This record gives sequence, structure tokens and C-alpha cells, in this order.
Amino acid sequence: MADDQSFDLAGCLDRVRQRDQAAARELVEHLHPLVIRIVRSHLPRRVAEEDLAQEIFMKMFTRIGQYQGAVPFPHWVSRIAVTTCIDHLRAQKRRPEFRWADLSENEAEVLDSVMTNENDVAANDSFAAHELVHKLLGQLKPDDRLVIQYLDLEQKTIAEICALTGWNTSLVKVRAFRARRKLRKLFEELKRKERS
Amino acid sequence: MNPSDSRHPWQRLAAAARRLPDDRDTAAPYGFATRVAALAMASERVRVSLLERFSLRAMGIACLLMVAIFAANYSAIAGAFTDDSLVPGDPVAEMLDGSGS
Repeated sequence: MADDQSFDLAGCLDRVRQRDQAAARELVEHLHPLVIRIVRSHLPRRVAEEDLAQEIFMKMFTRIGQYQGAVPFPHWVSRIAVTTCIDHLRAQKRRPEFRWADLSENEAEVLDSVMTNENDVAANDSFAAHELVHKLLGQLKPDDRLVIQYLDLEQKTIAEICALTGWNTSLVKVRAFRARRKLRKLFEELKRKERS
Repeated sequence: MNPSDSRHPWQRLAAAARRLPDDRDTAAPYGFATRVAALAMASERVRVSLLERFSLRAMGIACLLMVAIFAANYSAIAGAFTDDSLVPGDPVAEMLDGSGS
């Protein structure tokens, strides 16, 4: 959504409702950055990001008649994107177990370092930290994972998460609490396994 | 220590992960928007034409049924319009007949 100011979203939506294919293409191009960011941050294993983005856009066009304008259109689309990603994550019933043995040498070093000392992770270990974070997030339930990802990785506020997901404040807080409790248990378990 | 605490290993890992720049392109790949728009418009057209086809077929069947029912009950329907005399043995007819005399 690079040219937010110049893009006439309302006009484009009107034309899409009149089944104008060129307007539909413009709408996809305009919303692609928003959708692809959501897809990339919540992409399930073995699902191609382009396929998932296409599914989201198809849902958007199918439901476009139901859009009443109660929320900004990009928020409405982001809710479709979020629920589609969650549905895909839920479909992957089995979550791979998080084990020391499955970590790369660098990831194991970074994890060991954050658990044994209070220093920040070195800048050149950011990639390993990123991989570790996503492996840890993979242990959470899809809804809880989404909330903690928005809070801790994308540093969004509770209000922003509510707007993006359509969930209420208490639901977001409950999911964040549940995710943090699970993460705490996970770290305790990892420490115990490391010692043993 | 709670994972919401900034010194918790989770928060330090998350802070390091945030530092990793995501320089992937967010623009739609070449042809993606055209393909999606064409698919969306085509699927809508299929849905509309299916509805049209089924509703036309239902209307045809309803018309045929109406004609068949009319044909089967023609005598009864025609009789209802022509036979306006009171049925003998009908208590209402007898009562009306009695009050008239």
C-alpha cells in the first residue's frame, strides 16, 4: 500500500461491486503488501505464501457484498487474512516437538546463552534467534501464537490487535496470558532437559 | 521470571528476532493480481449463472406441474363453476329451503 494517499479505495470498491475486473486487479495490487505481511508472519509449514494470499483475496471478493463499512476496509481484509491463516494452522493438528537435538549448532548456542546469562543476544545471532522464536511459537495454539506474535514481535498494542483480529480486549488478554504461561513452562522444561 | 518480563529469555530472543530486517518485496508478483481478479470475477459469474439455470429449471417444472394438476382435475374445476344448484341432502340447503317456504 505504497500510495495510500492517491488510491481511491471507495471508488475502486464501487467498481469492483459492478464487476469491473480492472478495479479488482487494482484492489489486489493495493492490498497485497498488507496481506502478504500477515501471511508471512503466520505462514503454516508446507504452505506456499502465494497460495495462501490468493485464497485470502478470493475470500475477500466472495464476501465483498457483506462489507458494510463499519471498520476500515484494510482492517476488514486483515481479519479475513488472520482467520484464514489460523484455519490453516489449526488444520496442522500435529505440532512438532521442540527438542534440543533438532536445533542447529548456532540456535542451540543462542538458546543456551539466553537461558544461562542475562546478556542480550548478539547482533550477528539475530537469524538464529528469529528461527528459535518461530520454533517456540510453533508450540503454541494458533490463536495464542498469533496474539503473542503481534505483542512481542510486531509490538502492537492490545487495541491494534483487536482491530486486526476482530477479537475483544479480554479475549486478547486471555490468549496472551495463556501463551506466556505455555512459554514459561516450555523454558522450564528446556532448562531441565539441558541440565539432565 | 515471567515471559512478559524484558529480561526473560523469550523477550531477549524476541528482541533479537525483531532486529532481523525483512527486506522481502511486498509488491504482488507479476501476473498475480490479474490472475486473482480474473478468477474472482469468473467464479462470481459461474455462481450467478448456476442460480439462473436452477431457477429457470424450477420455474419450468412448476409450470408443467400446474398444467398436469389442472388437466387431472379439469372436470372438478369446471363443475365448480357450472353447478351452482344446492346439493340435495345438504343441511344448510334444507334449512335455507325451509326458511324460504
